Amino acid sequence: MLNHLQISALDLRLSIMAGVLVVMALVFHALTGSFLTPENLYNIAQQTAVVGIVAAAVALIIVARQIDLSVGSVMGMVGVLIAYLMYTKGWHWVPASFAGLAVALLIALYQGWLVAYLGVPSFVVTLGGLMSFRGAAFLVADGKTQPVSDPTFLMIGGGLEGSLGPALSWALGLSLAALLVWNSVSKRRRAQANGFPLRPLWFEAAFTAFFVAVLLGFIALMNAYVLADKGQGQGVPIPVVIWGVVVMGMAFIVNRTAFGRYVYAIGGNPEAALLVGIPVKRVMLKLFLLLAVMVTIAAVVSVSRLNAGTNSLGSNMELYVIAAAVIGGVALSGGSGTVLGSVLGALIIQFLESGLLLLDVGIGMRMVLIGQVLIVAVVFDVLYRRATGERMT
Amino acid sequence: MKPALIEMRGISKAFGGVRAVDNVSLSVYPGEVVALLGHNGAGKSTLMKMLAGAYPLDSGEVMVSGQTASISNPADSQKLGIETIYQTLALADNLDSVANLFLGRELKTRWGTLDDYAMEKAARDVFQRLNPNFKNIRVPVRSLSGGQRQVVAISRALYFNAKALVMDEPCAALGPEETRMVHELVRKLKASGVGIFLISHDMPDVFGLSDRLSVMKNGKTVGTYRTADVTEDEVLGMIIAGKKPSNVVECFAPVEVAA
Repeated sequence: MLNHLQISALDLRLSIMAGVLVVMALVFHALTGSFLTPENLYNIAQQTAVVGIVAAAVALIIVARQIDLSVGSVMGMVGVLIAYLMYTKGWHWVPASFAGLAVALLIALYQGWLVAYLGVPSFVVTLGGLMSFRGAAFLVADGKTQPVSDPTFLMIGGGLEGSLGPALSWALGLSLAALLVWNSVSKRRRAQANGFPLRPLWFEAAFTAFFVAVLLGFIALMNAYVLADKGQGQGVPIPVVIWGVVVMGMAFIVNRTAFGRYVYAIGGNPEAALLVGIPVKRVMLKLFLLLAVMVTIAAVVSVSRLNAGTNSLGSNMELYVIAAAVIGGVALSGGSGTVLGSVLGALIIQFLESGLLLLDVGIGMRMVLIGQVLIVAVVFDVLYRRATGERMT
Repeated sequence: MKPALIEMRGISKAFGGVRAVDNVSLSVYPGEVVALLGHNGAGKSTLMKMLAGAYPLDSGEVMVSGQTASISNPADSQKLGIETIYQTLALADNLDSVANLFLGRELKTRWGTLDDYAMEKAARDVFQRLNPNFKNIRVPVRSLSGGQRQVVAISRALYFNAKALVMDEPCAALGPEETRMVHELVRKLKASGVGIFLISHDMPDVFGLSDRLSVMKNGKTVGTYRTADVTEDEVLGMIIAGKKPSNVVECFAPVEVAA
């Protein structure tokens, strides 16, 4: 049956995680009565975006058997720098953001070069980075908070002003739905033209319909969040739009480019990757540069969300990002994991945070629980891989 | 006589203080199979890895079709038409057969993205030629049998039209049926003018397939002979004791057989 439908262990696993998410939502709603409301889900969506943006790229770093512990600190430093350039130096937000990007790329060049070309373990390099760049975040503005007030810039972070509104949200949703349908149809056509085995039509249709339904359901939900003084729905928050673009971009890189394939090959068998002529070092360096771009985007979004750059921006974020990737099914042993998984992983953590918060669970207990959920996820991962034959022992 | 397809002259390689390969010379001509024998650690695989671009040479030179070639990485070697089938097969276990066949040399669409349809189509053709029963080409190669994995590794050489082929213990992990498949393939490639280096421990493989053989011991060449001129015992003597057989002339180029 599963073979006939061409369902891989990977698809099955993503479905299970989506199921977990649904169950969590229902349980929290039953307990609190206010979990599945447009307002709460709107907040969850925009709160998850920053971690989700970075997790999508860190997932690939882990797939390539590396780790980056410095993402939170680098984001902090870049964020403070952007805010500093805007507030203290009076720059426009666009050049300030590009200056932040340049610094992030320089850091990635430095760390990536140490890892890829000198062979220093990324754990050590980025552990050093975790401390150094947190310190640098303090040094940039001498520890002073840098408030930002440009109204356009503040929309990037979402909040009550930073969303698309109903009309644009529907336009976006419908065009994405059209894209999904077109993609499935053209894939099927080309498989048919090449004489490859096809999935049954009903299955393919149901599969696509499911994603279209989730997408349009999400749009409707975001539009259903109406503020009393506004008179119209909020629509999709801008950070979520940015997250969506990042996820689609990363998925494109993974599935459609040679670079993406090389990342997985390096994770699966680094020695083989070298022997077949993959430029392993260059791929690794590029991967760190790609992550730097995502970290900068996340820095812009979070400075905008907080209306300020502070030297504690992004503290502990590396832990949430790595947890999101791992809960999302990225194996620390490398070679396995998906971008979509990182989205689900980030959402699971945020569901848990938000649900426990609504239940009035204190910060201490929340940390205890989230930590144990991480372990449960990894235990599941180990057992699942054993059951599907991906792991021998 | 035509120049050798590949001629390695005075090749040396040291790892730390160990001379893994010490002043070795070896050649292969078009349509010839040269077997390379020796104990584990004799330097066979190291020599071949230098040809494949996986290790840099310490000294010596490689000539391809009479021209000096510089091979500093595996891509260089592939560009010269040299394909290598490693003992470990060099497969990424998490990727499927199609991705592994084209790994490092993917077919692209005009947009520069991966052309999965073209790759799968081409892969089906190549796999079909090697093993008609090989159908599950879209699952990660970790779940394939030893023979199927071998098919994937060999198909690289076939698809990219190797001029010269290095096979490191191609039959070590195979059953009789699959071994016969590999033998047949070697003969087919040989007939089409491919030059083949065959590393093997297996005497029937060596005597059944090779035109010449070369024995290495402790990084040095013991001797290079026409396979038909030596006996199995003499070869074993070279491998174990490093003793050259008496009254047999060494042979550094294939003898043109008078028809």
